[in-house]
Amino acid sequence: MTDLLRAPAELKYAEELDWLESIDDNPKPFSWRLSPKMVRLFVLGSERADGLDREIAPKWFGDRSFVERSIVTLASDRGLLLIGDPGTGKSWLAELLSAAISRNSTLVVQGTAGTTEDHIKYSWNVSMVIAKGQSRESMIPSPIMTAMETGAIGRFEELTRSTSDVQDALISILSEKYISVPELGSDQDSDNIVFAKPGFSVIATANSRDRGVNDLSSALKRRFNFVRIPVVTNKKSEAEIVRFRTEELLRRHRIELDVPPTLLDVLLRSFADLRASSAAAGSDDEKLESALSTAEQIGVLEDAILHSNFFGERALTAHTLASSLVGSLARRAPEDLAILNKYLHGVVEPRSKEEGGSWPEFLEGGRDAIATLS
Amino acid sequence: MTATPEATFTALRTQLQDAASTFADGPAALEGILRGIVDDVERAVSEPLEIFPVCHHSPASAIAMARRLREKQPKTIYLELCEDMAPLLTELRNCRLPVAVQSFASEIEGFPADWAPLSVVAPVTEASAEYQAIAYALDTPGVELVLVDRSSDHVFQWETGPDGEGEGDGDPDAPEAAEQTALHGDAVGVEIGDLRPRFAELEEHLLRHGRVRHWSEWWHQYVELPLGDSDHDTYRQVMLLIGSLFRRLAPGDPRKVRVDEDRERYMWTRMREHLAATGTDPADCLYVCGAFHAASRVAEFGVHGSDTFTISPPSGTEWRHGLIPSSHGAIEAQFGLAAGSVSIAATEWAKNVRRTGVRPFRLEGQAGTRKSTRPRKALAPASASASAPVSAGPAADRLTGFLQRPPALDALDEAELLGWSVEIVRAARRNGYLASTADAIAVFETSILLAGMRDRAKPTPYDFQDAAVTCIEKDAVPGRRDVGRLVEIMMGGDRVGQVGYDALPPLARDVHDRLAPLDLKLQQRGVQRALLDIASRPELARCSDLLWMLRRLLPQGAARPIMGERRLGEHPIQESWDLALGTHQRALIELGYEGVSIEQVLEQRLRRAAYAPQATAAQVLEAVEDATLYLRSRRLADELGTRALEVLASERSVDGAPEVLRRVRRLLAHYRTAEPVLPPWIESFVKTGYAHYCTLLPTAFTDDDATVRQVAAMLGFLFGMEGLALSLGCDRTQLELALAQSHPTEPSRTALLWAAQTHLGTLPRTALRERCAELLGNPLVVPAYPRYLSGFVHALEPVPGLADFVVEAVSNAFARLPDSVLLPWLPSLIGTLRAGGAEHAPLLIREAGRLFPARLTELDTWVPPWRLPQGPPRMPVESAASTAAGLPLLAAHPATCDALAALLGCDGTWESPDVGPSGAALLARYPQTARALEALRAVS
Repeated sequence: MTDLLRAPAELKYAEELDWLESIDDNPKPFSWRLSPKMVRLFVLGSERADGLDREIAPKWFGDRSFVERSIVTLASDRGLLLIGDPGTGKSWLAELLSAAISRNSTLVVQGTAGTTEDHIKYSWNVSMVIAKGQSRESMIPSPIMTAMETGAIGRFEELTRSTSDVQDALISILSEKYISVPELGSDQDSDNIVFAKPGFSVIATANSRDRGVNDLSSALKRRFNFVRIPVVTNKKSEAEIVRFRTEELLRRHRIELDVPPTLLDVLLRSFADLRASSAAAGSDDEKLESALSTAEQIGVLEDAILHSNFFGERALTAHTLASSLVGSLARRAPEDLAILNKYLHGVVEPRSKEEGGSWPEFLEGGRDAIATLS
Repeated sequence: MTATPEATFTALRTQLQDAASTFADGPAALEGILRGIVDDVERAVSEPLEIFPVCHHSPASAIAMARRLREKQPKTIYLELCEDMAPLLTELRNCRLPVAVQSFASEIEGFPADWAPLSVVAPVTEASAEYQAIAYALDTPGVELVLVDRSSDHVFQWETGPDGEGEGDGDPDAPEAAEQTALHGDAVGVEIGDLRPRFAELEEHLLRHGRVRHWSEWWHQYVELPLGDSDHDTYRQVMLLIGSLFRRLAPGDPRKVRVDEDRERYMWTRMREHLAATGTDPADCLYVCGAFHAASRVAEFGVHGSDTFTISPPSGTEWRHGLIPSSHGAIEAQFGLAAGSVSIAATEWAKNVRRTGVRPFRLEGQAGTRKSTRPRKALAPASASASAPVSAGPAADRLTGFLQRPPALDALDEAELLGWSVEIVRAARRNGYLASTADAIAVFETSILLAGMRDRAKPTPYDFQDAAVTCIEKDAVPGRRDVGRLVEIMMGGDRVGQVGYDALPPLARDVHDRLAPLDLKLQQRGVQRALLDIASRPELARCSDLLWMLRRLLPQGAARPIMGERRLGEHPIQESWDLALGTHQRALIELGYEGVSIEQVLEQRLRRAAYAPQATAAQVLEAVEDATLYLRSRRLADELGTRALEVLASERSVDGAPEVLRRVRRLLAHYRTAEPVLPPWIESFVKTGYAHYCTLLPTAFTDDDATVRQVAAMLGFLFGMEGLALSLGCDRTQLELALAQSHPTEPSRTALLWAAQTHLGTLPRTALRERCAELLGNPLVVPAYPRYLSGFVHALEPVPGLADFVVEAVSNAFARLPDSVLLPWLPSLIGTLRAGGAEHAPLLIREAGRLFPARLTELDTWVPPWRLPQGPPRMPVESAASTAAGLPLLAAHPATCDALAALLGCDGTWESPDVGPSGAALLARYPQTARALEALRAVS
């Protein structure tokens, strides 16, 4: 695990999952490794009232009902489609759920414009086919097919990015729960159908900003339950998420660096201000291109931390944070730069005079960064 | 029950003490709280006057109340409700619930003026304990219902500031009032049994550990369901316990605590007074109050409490009372309950009634409910099957067992859940969602799974709602109802109450009576179309009058004319209206608090508007117009007109000038056609206005605050009313002087002044034309030309005769300005014309149409009239013509001229006119013209 750049959730939390499995005496659906209640506990963390011997840290922050609805959907006959703006933690939730339920979150198909039906069903090892002909051996199952065979959760990332005909390949998988392989013959005896084992389900994610690119057919919609994940606007939970992810990041990079709470507050407030100004903007030119999601915030902080660690004085400063913020958010010149400039002068400058603290340094850093970029 | 020994709750005390020492570090604060709770319960239970704690909109409370009433049959019921609302309760039977009892005061005394109008509402739903008590008391002979809570007046007396809006609506999380939820207006809500943690942390804690989203759901899950079938003692003790718990865990704000305690003192004082006055045995009474107040610790508590509270006298405010329609949505919005919770409570109530077999009380003849088929008879003690076990003797400790027992959960009612699942899919399909039987199955399955995950044996309506959203909602389409809302509607929806005809105030009844000829069911909700063919049915004219008044007084949408309008001097022939009086019943009822007839209310309103300290002349004139238009009251119009005169004389700004001009013109036109002589007030108004605006004119021309439109309107008044004003003794010199004193610097006002001078004849048109030409010729001034133009456009109001000149000025601008100046300037020209010339555009266009050629072919040869060589001055010609026209008359009747000459001291002699052909004589006198013509003809 230690030599992995990013370990999947089931490896990262293996010990915790083992422990939860050992104490879980609630009924488990199908071949689930944990009962639904334990899955919820794993994802949302434990509370004192749960009466556990050890504390389970929360891993996904958001409304409890979203998690409950997602788990329940997986226990039912339908697939789960998580919809939300970029950076709202859909994929992370999907990973956690599949790790908790089937201890395998790596059965992933990434939906892109180039995804074909083969990626969802199966393809052939050409040299094997030439040598031995078409058989189960020479077949390369897709992650989804593997999930079916093992009764695990298959994941389909960015479902709406793949084309409609590819999406529709999922329909029969979700309703009939088998894939037929006509190449293996049509006799009843031939092993030409791959049946799903109990416990198989699909978690798909879709970006709500991509809606309309390849809209789901109503037949496919019917086979999914939709859970809409909103952008986190609650400051408390957002701070919690940023802190959690940053700590994880620091651990991963083995960086000994402290993130002062005041800087975290500066970051959160800047994003809140920028979001408010984006919401009030009349046209696209007046708003930043970035979605200003929580993930973006983590990105800014990550960037600042790495920069201070490798180029700076091994301490995160408001100056670095500001330049990282400007660097990450200024995607279009001059529109984005103009907005950030306006923000620095209109909001940060008065605030640095009134409140002091890290704000004056933040202002200076932002100005320098803008001066460099423009 | 009266002599509960100390020992009753000893076991519970010990148990709680143990718990306190186990969970807290030491038996200190926690123990204090826990023991205090037991003390509170014990105290309330041992009170000789039976206290019945309730929670609002709680079906469990209502069921327990119905049971207890049948069992105990108290002779007197004390109810926690504003005491001044008592007389209205009998009217509840004429209404379809939910309705709200309202106290309303529009004219207030003893409170800050900006609090007006004061309004207190107490909504009553069928699934509430208070309704059970009211229905029992009113329909059972020999039972007295006494309301003991502070009066509506005290609700406001005890408020300390305008932002302390009483209880209930202080919840900042309450959703914005909209549609049905706004039924209560901005009234302060009072409610029996407001029971909710008074500090946010406790509520948050309860919600988190209860795995529920909002308070209503917590209550439903952890109190409502477990209490469902418990006996009276258990119910009472548990409610007291909860009331005491919330009370003890509420540090709260001291003002709220003080108000709460004062209310308890008030109620107990009133009850003791009543007991003393009537000599009723406390054992025959029942005191229905919120659980929060039942656990009171004030000294006045109890039949034997101290009499130390003095009830303050009411303020001088005159309160009126009535019933207004309410709705579940309005109640939820006002008291910060979760959307749909009151509807769910109503559904639960109906289900509980069926399941438990308890026979609820219902007011005889209550609208909107099934009629009771059972003959009325004196109440017999309920049969054992329908009532909980009766506890004899002192109340035993029911809490110990109850708190240790796991909650008794309802078994899964599969048929009900199936019904819901099928129903929601149908509803979703009707609302445009793609939903099928497969979805019904999925919703059913998901509900059960969700409930299992949340440790519930049976899915609650809230679990079901979550499941339905998960399985059905795939697209969020703006404007379409979301699935969550569909579930709410399905669970009973937002029920809207209705106040019956007999319970309406006289004004509202009068309105319905007078609209009876329309033959519409106006009590019903929704919009109804009324067609009034007044020409063939003259009796409908009175309906039309009334409808116009309603339109003036009620909120928009209550009465909306589709065809027909009411203007001064017009008589209606045919009208059609969209009426929604049922939907706006509250507004109509509130009108009823202001007077007994709609005319009276309108008159009061008009008078109030006219005599308001901030009233402007324009507003008062509007009141005059409305008085004439709607009330046809010359008396009122005259009175208000006199007031308009006063207001105008004291006004120092010219803001209202355009409106004053418009209204006075209209009123003058009306009086000139409808009345033999003008009313004295309008004559004085014109006179005063003339002098007033003359005085203000020089300042207005230079004042930056006055707009061009306002100055133009002043000039419009002066020029338009000039004839009348001069005939009434005004002096024109005043106007001339005023204009002479005006020295505007701003271009548009300068243009206005020039126009005025042209009108008065002090600035000839040729001079005006030259000035404009100079402006156009001077490149430094050209950028300001649009503003001059704007001034000219505004000048069309006082000097409409200038239209041709304005057309000329615009055309000149196009003709003379070079493209480099003209093109960048065009947008601002269009802007000027659009902003300032909207009213005058038709006039300008007509004038332009007259001046410019109508066909393209004519354009080549067309020369603008102002470019044509100017002929000789027209004056001599006109005078010659007039001489020609007048002379024969003068010659025929020389007496006048002779008399005039004699008066002037002249000796006039009469000459006989030259009768020869005037043209020939002219030719002979000036032969050059004829010769030149001859030469010309010879050349051609």
